[in-house]
Amino acid sequence: MSTLGSYSLQLALLFACTGAGLGVYAGIAQRDDWSQVAERCVGAVFALISVAMLALFYALATNEFSNAYVAAHSARSMDLGYRLSALWGGQAGSLLLWVWMLSLYAAGAMYANRHHHRELAPWVAAVLLGNAIFFLALLTFSTNPFELVPPAHRVSDGNGLNPLLQHPVMLIHPLMLYTGFVGFAVPFAYAFAALITGRLDTTWFRITRRWALFAWAVLGVGLMLGGRWAYEVLGWGGYWAWDPVENAALMPWLVATAYLHSVMIQEKRDMLKIWNLVLIGLTYSLCLFGTFLTRSGIVQSVHAFTNAGWFTPLFLSYTLLVSIGFFVALIARSQMLRSTNRLESVVSREASFLINNWLFMALLIMVFWFTMYPVFTELVIGEQRTWGPVWYNLFGSVIGLGLLFMTGFGPLIAWRRATATSLRRQFQIPGGVGFATAAVLAVWLRREPMAIAYWGMCAFVATTITQEYTQAIAARMRRGESPLVAFATLLRKNQRRYGGYIVHLGIVFAMLGIAGAAFNQESLANVRPGDSTELGAYRFEYLTAEPIPKQHYGGARARVALYRDEEPLAVMAPEKRMYWLEQQPSSIPAIYSTLREDVYLILTAIEPDGSATLKVYRNPLVNWLWIGIVTFSIGSIVVMWPPPVRPREA
Amino acid sequence: MPKGVQIAIGAIVCAALLGWYGFSNLEGQATYQYFTTLDEFLASEPQNRIGESLRIKGFVADGSIDRRVDERRVLFAIQNDPPHVNANATATFAVHYLSLETPDLFQDGAEVVVEGHVEGRPSGVVLIADNVLAKCPSKFQAMAEQQRGEAEETSL
Repeated sequence: MSTLGSYSLQLALLFACTGAGLGVYAGIAQRDDWSQVAERCVGAVFALISVAMLALFYALATNEFSNAYVAAHSARSMDLGYRLSALWGGQAGSLLLWVWMLSLYAAGAMYANRHHHRELAPWVAAVLLGNAIFFLALLTFSTNPFELVPPAHRVSDGNGLNPLLQHPVMLIHPLMLYTGFVGFAVPFAYAFAALITGRLDTTWFRITRRWALFAWAVLGVGLMLGGRWAYEVLGWGGYWAWDPVENAALMPWLVATAYLHSVMIQEKRDMLKIWNLVLIGLTYSLCLFGTFLTRSGIVQSVHAFTNAGWFTPLFLSYTLLVSIGFFVALIARSQMLRSTNRLESVVSREASFLINNWLFMALLIMVFWFTMYPVFTELVIGEQRTWGPVWYNLFGSVIGLGLLFMTGFGPLIAWRRATATSLRRQFQIPGGVGFATAAVLAVWLRREPMAIAYWGMCAFVATTITQEYTQAIAARMRRGESPLVAFATLLRKNQRRYGGYIVHLGIVFAMLGIAGAAFNQESLANVRPGDSTELGAYRFEYLTAEPIPKQHYGGARARVALYRDEEPLAVMAPEKRMYWLEQQPSSIPAIYSTLREDVYLILTAIEPDGSATLKVYRNPLVNWLWIGIVTFSIGSIVVMWPPPVRPREA
Repeated sequence: MPKGVQIAIGAIVCAALLGWYGFSNLEGQATYQYFTTLDEFLASEPQNRIGESLRIKGFVADGSIDRRVDERRVLFAIQNDPPHVNANATATFAVHYLSLETPDLFQDGAEVVVEGHVEGRPSGVVLIADNVLAKCPSKFQAMAEQQRGEAEETSL
């Protein structure tokens, strides 16, 4: 099987080189016949990499430990699902997954546009295959997932996957991040092709709008699922730590969000042509940079893969080459991209979208600066210095509040120029609700002004969304539709607008939950069996501990009775596991979860004297973050849903 | 006023506000150094650094962890190299961690960064730590790489 995988990758590399070369030739000579050959090469590359993927899956499923990658990342004791997920548990496998995704997207994009926009096709094929060549060359010449272990070093069992990664969310979280990262290759390739051919109308982003939306939505959900995993598995009571690798995935998502908003201005008002190209170029470059950051280990992080010496310069040069190539093309075409329309008023939809873009860019610059700071200081003063998460939260919360405001403000104000009367009519109720919420909370809570500002803003945005829906539904009901029919028609007829509001509502829920973190409480206690510790209105009574009799891990499970105001609520069972094969301990928290708050309990240690050291957290509103994820996903699906097929005119 | 000047003034005002906001909230909490390694620290005469706050990176010496539940503290020693590389390291350094809240990966041989201040005790200079960060023991990865290295040598 490994031999088959190896050969498929080599053959895929050959086809990719041929296809890229033919694409360039077909583009220059404007020969559609050769372009079709290049596109078939894309299909062939996809098929061959798929064979390699299947070969690696097969090797993982059948415990083929003669394969070095399988021996290093899988083990007999692991369930089939986790054995298969080891495909993206290591360097070589995850690069294979990356290039397979790329080829899948490439084949899909070529197929979807086989009948139209033919002049862009050869260049799109060339750009996508050009990217594939790099990864295929890496896989063939240096980090081959099909490398064999020499017979003298064969083992009967593998090293296993890091037990922290053996969690249902981890089956899909990396997959979703990759689907998101690589998905931006399609809009990027069309933008690049548009720059090369000089066809700089709205075609390139119209045909890739759904592709970009899809990548963006999947990346967003993937990011939040990563947070969910950290919360359930890592046992520190939080879900986001501003770790460099988290930031690496966040940065392209921020720029992509700005992009999705600003293309709407180009669509409606024919402005910001250069800016949109900059944003899509930056998004894809940051996806590559993010992969580089994760894989190279140049910034200290908990997630990074091990560092191989050749990897850093090679991958960095590739990332730079792709970005510089794109931006050189952009500069060369800048004369053609001058916009005829100007901003007419600062109080208009387009101006509010512009401010939204600036805020996203500010957030990006902040995250980039803090993330890369250790690298800069290493270069300048020779030692790595770093900024703590407090700094991210401090500046991020201010910018985020501005963005949340724009979420409510932007969609309600008119294009071109809004009048004072229309502003007053639109914002009277939401503004009032927002201020009233903040005022009530301020009187009640008397601390954490930032969190209160966030909740007030959440109320404001939620009211604007409700108002938009009720007004539109009321208008339809006057025509005799029932409320439900009216609601469904809105989503179907204007899915982008009303689906977008659902996405915004998801963000509101998420922000509601995130702001709750300002009121988190925690305490550490050492208790003997029968004793209790308290946190707020909760009392935790340590009952007993018992050993865990599992095959591949052992350790202890504590039983802790939870009371609120002396009313029994639950028996919680946090675990302290020891994974035998990997010799790795791991704490599994017990969570008592309600919409109001989570009570989160960790068994830090069973002490030598039989007492237990317990860490307890009280996390208000954290469930709203997960409700936000679900709402966000539903909204994204509505926005992307293919419009009903119109009957063809005869 | 030309548009460029307006934008510049706006940008300066925003930057000034943000800067003021940052400084007023976090005075004295600027960036910190990642860590010094234990060898670097020991080479710099620890007795002269009493009272200093710092972060030191090392590995938990085998068998040194002493959890003192009644005193709510954990005593252990760190050494510069991992125990499986240098099991009989003589240059160890004592750490008094003032909490029982040790991270999951804290165990013999774990790579740790200890954060705290240096104190002189009758027993010698120790680090009074208020934070301990542990990294995944890279033993397996190291072993796998070593194996691969050997494999390459034999296949040559």
